[in-house]
Amino acid sequence: MASSAAASNPTIPSLNLPPSQFARLQPHAYLLAHLSPPAASDQPSVRANGRATSQFRVTSANAGSLTHTNGSAVVRIGDTAAVCGVRAELLHTEDIASWSVSTASEAEAGNTSQKGGSKTEDEEDRDHVQDLNLLVPNISLSTGCAPGFTPGAPPSTLAQSLSHEILSLLHTTRLVKADDLRIWYQPPNLESEEFRNAGEGMDVDSEQTGGPEPEIKAFWVLYIDIMIISLAGNPFDAAWASVLAALRDTKLPKAWWDADNETVLCSDNISDAQKLSLRGLPVSSSFCTFEADAAAGWRSVVIPNADELKSQAQKQGSQQRWILADPDGYEEGLSQERVCVVVDIEDGKTVIVKMEKHGGWAVDSDDLRQLVDVSAKRWHEMKRILDQC
Amino acid sequence: MVGPTASLSILQRADGSATYKCPATGYTILSAVNGPVELPGRRDALKPEDATVEVFVKPGTTTGGVGERAIETTLKSVLGDIVLGREKGFPRRGVVLTLNIVGGENVERGDSYLTLLPALLHAGLLAMISASIPLSMTLSAVLLGVTDSGEIVQNPSPAAAKSAVSLHVLAISSKDHLLLNQSRGRFDFDTWELIRARALSICQGAANDGDVAMGEGTNTASVNGFIRETAEDQIYSAYAHKLDSI
Amino acid sequence: MSKEAQLSVAERDFILEALRQDVRLDGRKPDEYRPLDISFGEEYGHVNLQLGKTHVIVRISAEVTKPRDDRPFDGLFNINMELTNMGSPAWESGRSNDLEAAVTHTLDRVIRHSNALDTESLCILKGVSCWSIRADVHVLDYDGNLTDAACIATMAGLQHFRRPDAVVRNGQVIVYGVEQRVPVALNITHKPLSVTFHTYNDSKHIILDATLKEEQAAEGDLVIGINNAGDLCYVSKIQGAPVDAMAIVTKTSVAWEKVKTLNATMDKVLQADLAKRAKVGMADESRATNDREVQPE
Repeated sequence: MASSAAASNPTIPSLNLPPSQFARLQPHAYLLAHLSPPAASDQPSVRANGRATSQFRVTSANAGSLTHTNGSAVVRIGDTAAVCGVRAELLHTEDIASWSVSTASEAEAGNTSQKGGSKTEDEEDRDHVQDLNLLVPNISLSTGCAPGFTPGAPPSTLAQSLSHEILSLLHTTRLVKADDLRIWYQPPNLESEEFRNAGEGMDVDSEQTGGPEPEIKAFWVLYIDIMIISLAGNPFDAAWASVLAALRDTKLPKAWWDADNETVLCSDNISDAQKLSLRGLPVSSSFCTFEADAAAGWRSVVIPNADELKSQAQKQGSQQRWILADPDGYEEGLSQERVCVVVDIEDGKTVIVKMEKHGGWAVDSDDLRQLVDVSAKRWHEMKRILDQC
Repeated sequence: MVGPTASLSILQRADGSATYKCPATGYTILSAVNGPVELPGRRDALKPEDATVEVFVKPGTTTGGVGERAIETTLKSVLGDIVLGREKGFPRRGVVLTLNIVGGENVERGDSYLTLLPALLHAGLLAMISASIPLSMTLSAVLLGVTDSGEIVQNPSPAAAKSAVSLHVLAISSKDHLLLNQSRGRFDFDTWELIRARALSICQGAANDGDVAMGEGTNTASVNGFIRETAEDQIYSAYAHKLDSI
Repeated sequence: MSKEAQLSVAERDFILEALRQDVRLDGRKPDEYRPLDISFGEEYGHVNLQLGKTHVIVRISAEVTKPRDDRPFDGLFNINMELTNMGSPAWESGRSNDLEAAVTHTLDRVIRHSNALDTESLCILKGVSCWSIRADVHVLDYDGNLTDAACIATMAGLQHFRRPDAVVRNGQVIVYGVEQRVPVALNITHKPLSVTFHTYNDSKHIILDATLKEEQAAEGDLVIGINNAGDLCYVSKIQGAPVDAMAIVTKTSVAWEKVKTLNATMDKVLQADLAKRAKVGMADESRATNDREVQPE
């Protein structure tokens, strides 16, 4: 690593490249030189983009930018920008294959899929939102959002796994309440009338009690389309923030079942439209680890134990790795290990909703504890930004 | 509780293969590794210094979708970590791992793959060992669920996993590094630290030595010990001719 | 795209010369299958089949879905096969190749289009719900004759599979779990199988169940799909050297004989497995219900 030695030694006269070229030629050494400046020079340790290690990029959000959606938002984190549009479509229960199907154990308990029964609200939400696929997020990384995204290519692995992560997080956080998406119908209480849709909605015990139960006639399906129009690292945070902002902005028109026409009607009166009531405000923060010696893990014949690794780092004195918050594209390319923490704060208490790390073996309990604290700080910042937009 | 079962080198064509069966979750994974192989026409796979690790997950009774792509990315980075891809003959080549879920339920759309992840990791690792891919260390993984009452359950069944408050998968290297953590649900950091400690003791065993914890199917046997035992069994059978002659 | 290693000229000549003397590499007769081993997994419809070194697993699954609008009385049945890097290093996972297309096509014609599985019996409620049966073929090892191996395994899987019982009550479809009601076997109308031949030396030599090496040395192939009763469902002579018309006729009767033996073997294994299940069934079922009662907590 002659170049890294040269980088940290500014006295060599021949090295007279402008910083931008140096950054391209020796990216690793360039970032390392910023993070560990020579002791002689009085410079603080900063990232190549001028941020401190736990500093996020300037974030801005704007809700309701698109007119033809039920809710939309643009979120920009540094040079990464995501647009999210939520579009609600109606799904009639008669079009759902599994709607009229129940397993025998449910039927015996008098607990068909139309009724909540003894289930808690949360479980029922999971049943409907997840089993009926009422949330359909899709991420596209638009052509030219970063070099390497060519037109006409099928969805990249990155886009596919991001879509999955968003959907999975929507499900685990139960952000959207199933009740907001249901369209109910209370059949008139006429004993003699034979219900037209007896095949659809009646269950056994409602006939016994005589009074008709309210039935679900349709659902709203939310198509959440996210487009990353500019990708400069950390797409997940931006995408998730845009989903959050768009869902907070989403208004569903008032809809009801019209028994005469056997269809769902929607009110075109904007004042009738209702906002979604979301559960909490989970905010995602991503990090990456930059190693001073990227190939250390490969070169050493025997990799030290986790404990030895720790004591080694203390012995050497100089910092060997840095955890960078909200990495930009340049930093992402130089690191393997990724951490993603999603937290929510309820009554001043930090709740972790998702915590992921992979790609390396440096980050462990101590670091993660700090990262959760950093994420909690970020939560307050994001809440302020989202409340203002 | 019945422990997992595994066997190595069961297929003919692939360079290395393994099956891994976890009775607690009901999954059976069949894995095959080919490597180092050329990946022609793949410019992204031509890394001048390093091998490219490719992972393909094939579900048992559906067609693969976005969930599979996401889990492949995770597996790729975890297993790619321990593959010594800069050994001679590996740069610019690929190590291709195929994981076939041949037993157990499907993962529903939008569900996390957490319940399946430890089995996939173990099957992948064993296939790598079977194919003699150079590795810097081995790993062992565990799925832990936290119930309503705050109890930590090891390897919850798919139904129990659904009702768990939080689910965690941790992969710990044979040298105690935390290679992977995936946690979903609602929990605080103190709970996670308990999980971390529990995972370490499950993976490495209380005695922290693979040779000690080899009781037959007992709970005390560590996962790491199990991986080691499986590999040793394979070596014994492969070198039976040599051992006899000594 | 990677390719299978080519046969060397010497190998090819050796195979052809041996065939001229009526000898095959593994000592089989021209009309002989490699040893066939069929076993079943724990689940219904899980078949593990080895034909020589060719190894496939078939899994059958069922779910309730909405029938197609134009066929409200029909259930759905699909056969899926995706070749991965596992079966042969030459296959790239996630990309289809010619072999995949050819085998899927043959399976589709022999099993699906010949209506071996009665799809009308899969209807639960007209136009509202029906069963969708899906066969997934996983290729673990490829050493020639994938078509026959996959075909035998799929047919065995369909006969072995039991779907949950479902009844319609007040317009509500109720699906009973395996432990509540005895699951139902699928309605198999007939048992067609494909038999694949390869031709050599200007179709003077026609052999059955070629290995990968024999396939590579072959001039052309001939696939015959036929059932126990001798009804032809599928004949394909798409590519390669021309074959004498009379050869097709004689080979069809060979295929018929083979299908009868194969089906007999399959029946024997199926009966043995069912008998085994019946024996442990009671104990297993009571255990399964116990497990289930614990789960809701």
